[in-house]
Parts: sequence; structure tokens; C-alpha cells
Amino acid sequence: MNPQLPDEAASFGAAAEKAFTALGAVDVARRAEADPAVRQREVVPVLQSLGAEDLDPRQDLDTAAAAGALCRAAGRVALPYPVAAAVLRDHDGNPTAAAGGGGTARIDHGDLFTTWRLVGLDGTTGIAVRASKPLGSRLGPFVSDLERGESRDAGGARAAAMWITLTGWRILGCVERALELAVSHVRDREQFGQKLSEFQAVQFQLADAAVAVAGLDELCRYTTWKACSDPAGAAVDALALRLYALETARTVLRTAQQLHGAAGVCDEYDVSILARHIQPDLRLPFGAATTAAHLGAAVQEHGFEALFPQGGPRA
Amino acid sequence: MDYDVGERALQLRGRLRELIAQEIPEGYLGAFTDDPADLDVAQRFCRTLASEGLLTVAWPEEYGGAGGSVWEQTVVREEMWAHHEPRGAQYMGLNWVGPAIMAFGNDDQKRRHLPPIAAGEVIWCQGFSEPGAGSDLASLSTRAEPDGDGFVVTGQKIWTSYAQMAQWCVLAARVGAPGAGARKHEGITIFLVPMDRPGITVRPIRSMLGPHHLNEVFFDSVRVEPDEVLGGVGNGWKVIRRALAHERVGIARYARCDRLMSEYSDLAGGIDGLPPALREQWVWALVQVRVARLLAYRAVARQQSGVDDASASAARIAVTQCDQQVAEVLFDALEQRSIEDKAAGAPLHGAAEDHWRYAQAATVASGTIEIQRMLVARELLGASK
Repeated sequence: MNPQLPDEAASFGAAAEKAFTALGAVDVARRAEADPAVRQREVVPVLQSLGAEDLDPRQDLDTAAAAGALCRAAGRVALPYPVAAAVLRDHDGNPTAAAGGGGTARIDHGDLFTTWRLVGLDGTTGIAVRASKPLGSRLGPFVSDLERGESRDAGGARAAAMWITLTGWRILGCVERALELAVSHVRDREQFGQKLSEFQAVQFQLADAAVAVAGLDELCRYTTWKACSDPAGAAVDALALRLYALETARTVLRTAQQLHGAAGVCDEYDVSILARHIQPDLRLPFGAATTAAHLGAAVQEHGFEALFPQGGPRA
Repeated sequence: MDYDVGERALQLRGRLRELIAQEIPEGYLGAFTDDPADLDVAQRFCRTLASEGLLTVAWPEEYGGAGGSVWEQTVVREEMWAHHEPRGAQYMGLNWVGPAIMAFGNDDQKRRHLPPIAAGEVIWCQGFSEPGAGSDLASLSTRAEPDGDGFVVTGQKIWTSYAQMAQWCVLAARVGAPGAGARKHEGITIFLVPMDRPGITVRPIRSMLGPHHLNEVFFDSVRVEPDEVLGGVGNGWKVIRRALAHERVGIARYARCDRLMSEYSDLAGGIDGLPPALREQWVWALVQVRVARLLAYRAVARQQSGVDDASASAARIAVTQCDQQVAEVLFDALEQRSIEDKAAGAPLHGAAEDHWRYAQAATVASGTIEIQRMLVARELLGASK
């Protein structure tokens, strides 16, 4: 038993964070919102310099952990690029993302590539082509619709589970940075003659947020390890991670914004950018209610690993 | 990065489950129920564990233990709590009274107390909390007045589990006047006192937890001998801190949550057998129990590597909250039958009803959730908040 991230993955994550910070940290998201070409012009070269293209998380546990650390670093700065999809490229170089059913698929940064590979936890897989410009909305500035083409071989379940897991890592980066910003803010800001951090009501909110973030951190690592050691349960575990990640994002971002006061909704403050730009990761391909429904069905079919497992063929 | 507890710990889990299946009756809800026969089950089971060396897995080999790894100790905690702590009241002696005596006791005290604890033959109770000193334990006011070469103890303890059946008490009392402010822990002294000593009165407190869990203990001019001091006069706070460190990670409540949810799932025919409105809560509880277990493992791993941080407090917050959440989800599933107890023929032999009652105290026992939040926040905000 050793819950620590492998040293190489931790170093890779630290290098990625340093590179993204040098790019301007959250400012690169602000710049990309004003000029979407910033994504290819500024972000792609940095990912290339990190060697992200050579990172295939399906290879082994160490590489999967490194990909997780990369997505986490991206989440910390709302990096405007679909990192999880990029590291899960198929043999033809198509970025790979999990998608729901239907004729069109809504994908974050879908406009960046001409063709995509879309995968589902049920194993479905197919190629889709770019069909729209980005939404340009405040909560989905780079979200684009894709038109599905022909279906291909089954076997996308593992990639879908890995995409969901890597997105969990990205959400982790986002919430841990949001919590750091909240801590920094309440340590600086004074009201009623004392720092906000001295109010116990504030301390308790931070403590609950910190426990949720620590839990997500553990669950990301556990899910990544389990995907490599027990691929058969990958879909159930990925959905469990997604459910926890979505709930953690909801509560931690809410706390972080609330503790910033009105500044929490102002784009001058990083917490507002983090909260806006993470929304596609929380809503696509499905949100918490659908995640829970899928998880219930998956537990019924495959069971849920625990000290006393439940569901699955035994039920 | 590896979440496998290791071969030895896995074998230990298997052996413990075998012994439980052989010796613990179906529907057993712990030693402290309205049925006195349940206490006999625990006493017998302790002797069985002792005969296989499984009662003292955590103890160092020099004291007759197995010198088990922290993960073997974790497995013991999980399996015992999952199966309604079939060691009864013994866990307190094993988990921290014994180790505290190893650390602070003199040779006579070790000879006298450690063998009966290791054999599962003696029950200890913990005389720490007082009506005026709960979370703020250093404010305790029970006095130990020097008298000849010994002491005379006067005061009141409260919430003392197993006091009615315990043979011995680890008593915290104050010698001399309390210090001011941050020095108020000065003078606190630990005594190892036999519960049949004249002047000790135990009064049970009726509670939803059932018999034996909560008591008041009154010390009325109780004579205590000098060789009953543990760790030296005035060193009690050090002993208490050590004791609390042993209990740092806390009860493996997530293990019972896992077991009850698994058993109810079997009963209902899986998630599809649950009311549709409950399924989302059910899977959310499953995930939370998993996260609570992982946070407990994180705290164990940090403790093992000598890191002294708030990870144990974080784990306790998650573990105690998931305990209460699972209690509610099970009750929602059982609906009208939730309030039936074992005697009334409740589903799961009354285990859900028992769990709900215990869960109400989960966020209070052994350090309230508010204290844990303060510790987590303190670490987060740093000393200069």
C-alpha cells in the first residue's frame, strides 16, 4: 500500500505547472477567450515542449499517473486546451473524448480538430467531424458541436473510462486552486476589524472544502491505479470518480466564490475564470444526475468494489 | 502508487472472517445489548483471538505481540468494526492502554497489566471527560490531593464507556493547582486505578446507544497508591497525547457502512430493487464510503512515514459523516420498518437500526467534528492566519 503519486509523475506534473504558469497561468484562458487562436499559437507549443504528445495513459500505471498530473496542472490554470482528449489520441491521431448518444456531440474545444474519435462507456466508438463554431458563451466559450459519422469497432469503453478519469484530475486541479485562492483571500481581507480567516464560520467552510478536495485527490489516484490493475471495473470506477468530482466542484467552487464576496464573480479574479471555464468538464457529456443513473446501472451489472462488494452478478 | 494492502494483511483479513463466521452468531450486534449473552460471546471470541495471537497484532514482539504492520492493524480495525466489534470492551485495553503502559509504565506495571490485556481477560475504562471538560480536556478538575506517599482523588467523570464492567480505570486527575491559559495541562496525572476501590461509584446514563456505553463515575476520597501513577506526577498530558495518537485515525466506521450496504443490497436484489428516488442517494453513499476509506488510508500512510498533519482529522470528518449518511440512506430504504429493532424482527437482524443509533454520536465521540474542522482549518490557514 502506497497512495503516493510515482515520483516521475509528480515531477512531470510540477514541470507542467511551471510551464503553464510561465504562459501566464489563468491569463492564458483570458487571452484565449478574446482570441481563440491563442490555443494553437501559445498552448500547443508548450504541450509539445513537455512531451505531452508521447504520453499514452493506456500504456502503464506510471504513464497514466503522469497524464493525470498533467491534467491536474491544466485544471489549476483553466488551460484552454482539451488535454485529456489529446493524450488519448487514436492510431490515426484523432483526439478522443467521451460522448453521449445522439447525432451530434457537444465537445469542449471541438473546433480545434477536424475529426474526433468519440467513445462511450458502453463500448461504442465512432468518428465525428467538426460541425459548428464554438458557442462563445460565458460558460462554454470553446464548446463546439460535432456531427457523428460512421460507427467503428467496439472497444471504446476503456478510452471512455480513461477520459472520464483524466477529466476528474482536471477538476481536481481546478478545485484545489480555487481553494488556495479562497485561503489566500480570507487571510488578506479584513472586515469588522479582523481577518476573514479568524471567523470560525469561514474556517469551517474551508475545512469542509479541504476535506472534499483531499478526498478527490485520493479518489483520482485510486481510480487511476485501479484502471490499470483491474480494467474490467474501469467504467464503474470512472463513474464513481466523476460523481464525486462533480459534487466536489459544486461545493468547493461555491465556497471559494462565496468567500471572495462580490469579487468571486468578477473575471479580474482567477476564481471566476476557474468557475466558468470548468463548466464544460462538469456538464459534458453528462452532469451529476445522469452520472449517478449510469453509476447505478453499472453497479447493478458489474458490482462495486469495496471491503464488502455489492451488486453485480451476485445480486 | 499501489492500493493493495499486501499479502499478509489479506491473509489476516481472511482468517478473521473465518473465525467470525465460526464463532459469532448471525445477527450479532456487539457485546453491549440488552442480552447479556452477547457479552459472553465477546469474551469467548477474545480468548480465541488471543490463542491465535490475533488479539495483539499491533503490539511489538517484545510484549508478546505480532509486530504487525500498520496495514495489518488497519485490517483488524476494519474487520472488527464491520462485524460489530466482537472484542467487546477489550479494544480499549489493546489499542491504547496497553501501548501507553509499554511507553510510560515501570516494570511492575508492565508485568501486572500487559499479560491480562494480551490474554483478553481484563476490561479497562477511560476516566478522561468530565461535566466541565469535554473537548477542552485540559480543563479537567478532578483533584488528586497528596496524602502521605499516595493521593486522595475526588471528582466526577462522565461518558465513561464500560465503567460498570471494567476492572480498571485509566484516570486523569489534577495534582496541584491548574496552570493559567496554555499551561492548564500542567499537573494532570494519569493513575491506573482498580474499579473496586472504595469510594468509586458508577451510575449508568440511559441513552439511545444501549446499556454500558455511557456512565458517570464518581470518585469520593478514593485512595490511590504511588505505584499506580503512570508516567510520573504531572506528566499526564504527555500520556494522554500518546493515547490519543494511538486512536488518531479513529474507528473504521466505513467498514460497517460497506457491510451494511452490501447486505441490504443483497436483500433488495441490488440497486434495481431500491425505490427509484433512492438510487442516486445510494450510489452517492457508496462513493462517499470509498472516499472515506481512502482518506483513512492516507492518514495511516502519513502516520507511518512520521508526518504529523491534519490528515487524521480530515479522515475523521469524512468517516463520521459517511457513517451518518449511510444510516439515513438505509433508513430511507427500510422506510416503516427502519424503526424496528432486533427483538421486533427487523430486517438485517436490526443492524440498520443499531447503526442509525450509533451514528448519532459518530461526530461527537473521540473528538467532535467541530474540533476536527478547527484542526484542518488551522493547518490550511497556517500559524499566521
